[in-house]
Amino acid sequence: MRQWGASACVGFARACAVVVVAMLVPAVWAVAVALWMWWGGDPWTWIAPFVWACIGTFALSRPVCRMTRSLVAKWTGVVIPPGYRQAGPVTRMSTGYWWNGFSYERTRRDALMDQRMRLWWKDPAVWRDLRFTAIVPFTAGVVAAVPLAGLAAAVLGFGTSSPLVGVLGLVVAVAAARYAWRPAVPVAVRLLRPSPAMALADRVDELTSQRADTTVAQAAEIRRIERDLHDGAQARLVALGLSLATAEKLMRTDPDRAMALLREARAGAATSLNELRELVRGINPPVLNERGLVDAVRAFALDSPLEATVSADVRLRLDPPIESAVYFGVAELMTNAVKHAHATRARISFAGDETGIVVDVEDDGRGGAGVRAGGGLEGLRRRLAVFDGTLEVTSPAGGPTRVRMVVPCESL
Amino acid sequence: MRIVVAEDLYLLRDGLVRLVEAYGHEVVATATTGPETVEALLKWRPDVAVIDVRMPPTQSDEGLRAALAARGEVPGLPVLILSQHVEQLYARELLADGAGGVGYLLKESVFDADQFIDALERVAGGGTAMDPAVIAKLLSSGSSTRRLGQLTEREHSVLGLMAEGLSNQAISRRLFLSEGAISKYTTSLFGKLGITDDDNSNRRVLAVLTYLNASSAPQET
Repeated sequence: MRQWGASACVGFARACAVVVVAMLVPAVWAVAVALWMWWGGDPWTWIAPFVWACIGTFALSRPVCRMTRSLVAKWTGVVIPPGYRQAGPVTRMSTGYWWNGFSYERTRRDALMDQRMRLWWKDPAVWRDLRFTAIVPFTAGVVAAVPLAGLAAAVLGFGTSSPLVGVLGLVVAVAAARYAWRPAVPVAVRLLRPSPAMALADRVDELTSQRADTTVAQAAEIRRIERDLHDGAQARLVALGLSLATAEKLMRTDPDRAMALLREARAGAATSLNELRELVRGINPPVLNERGLVDAVRAFALDSPLEATVSADVRLRLDPPIESAVYFGVAELMTNAVKHAHATRARISFAGDETGIVVDVEDDGRGGAGVRAGGGLEGLRRRLAVFDGTLEVTSPAGGPTRVRMVVPCESL
Repeated sequence: MRIVVAEDLYLLRDGLVRLVEAYGHEVVATATTGPETVEALLKWRPDVAVIDVRMPPTQSDEGLRAALAARGEVPGLPVLILSQHVEQLYARELLADGAGGVGYLLKESVFDADQFIDALERVAGGGTAMDPAVIAKLLSSGSSTRRLGQLTEREHSVLGLMAEGLSNQAISRRLFLSEGAISKYTTSLFGKLGITDDDNSNRRVLAVLTYLNASSAPQET
């Protein structure tokens, strides 16, 4: 009984909240109509109140939707993605003009204003919000108003000594209190979720930015390889050729020096092989090619200063790009564990089924890791995002750090 | 010695054959793929085989698997694995059967022909030849550094050479010390680590590697 009473009170409060939110825009129109009446109902005085009401509707539609969304999320845990278009960066071009993603403008302020206007008109979410604010008073709003109306009838009925009306009103108010706010949830879910077209637009945006990330990362990687080869192996091979040429020249006249040069050349060849090996390991570790992900991580764990346990419940063979991304992810996490978290032990586990692979990396370090803009984990998250993979980091200060990588894919 | 050479790249195969022949050994067969290697090993039963890890048809760890398969048939068949990169993981797999006669070296170890032939002969004699790079990684891994902290620098380097598979005599030549001094170092370091010394160098290598691996081994589940 007590519980029922409490939930009736909560329901009543929620119904009130729904009414307030739903009736904001109708209230603006009511004020406008009242103004027009007050000015005398003249055929031409309707224009000003009408314009004000329209502006009010436009201005209030987004806050109303935002409030509805947050109320629904708070009460039921249903998160409705807003799906508004995000403003792109406004950048200054070499010509001195500002580019906002749509047009060139002379000043930054113009570019920003133009961008805001275009986003406003082109964003399907704006029209969706308007539709919602138009529909919600007549659906969720009306239903949520029932307990309030009941209460009002009760007060009026007892006040004007017609107890029948009062009792009826009270019964309606109490009976409806628990349920009246509920229709707001399906209405909001139905009308506020992004339409398929908006979801597609979001996906296109996401893919575009991922493609840009990948291209940039790839170009940087190629530059690194070129630089390493140029400064390393190539230079050493030139030196090697020089030593050999000189040795050839000195062979007859000064065999001792020639011998020394040959020895030097041999050492140079060994060093350049070493450098090439390191380079290859950074591009695509041979053991990954030869044995697949799990054994490659085992091999990496053996070389790492951490005491690492590697466990896998399945023999995974994935697409090579995914294998490589996950391998370098685990390698980076283990390196972080040593370098930043000062960990001594790590546990790596692989689990997978036909839908994807889950990799957990856990260390006993001091924690405090997080995905920060421009940080290593952010980079890792991006590289996984290319495959629609995700990265979860739990790393309280004081440790331990747990990182979970999930990549949807088909096991080969 | 009768030797089988398995290597898919012509230049390297040719170079290896010429090198071992220059030292008076006989190459009885060459192989260029994994299956060919197993066949040649089982047919010729060489004194030692030199095998490249990566070979056709899969271009993965074909050579290693061929060597392990042949050793499954003929336990202790001496094999020397050559590779462009060394992995502790592979070293473990080679040593796992405990039969000895195993070598695992980087390809550039052929740059020093004398040492290479020395390693080859050691493997043929049932000994071990591990690449210094594998041993260095093993000695520097987390748990090892902690447990080896009590060793002196000299004992540390003796331990490394021992793990590579060198005998006391060879270690003494490498470090320019007398054999007596080396055996003093080995006794003291074995005492410190609590391993029993063994005159058989192969068993000694296994003891050292087992010790080093003891707690750094990733669990297989």
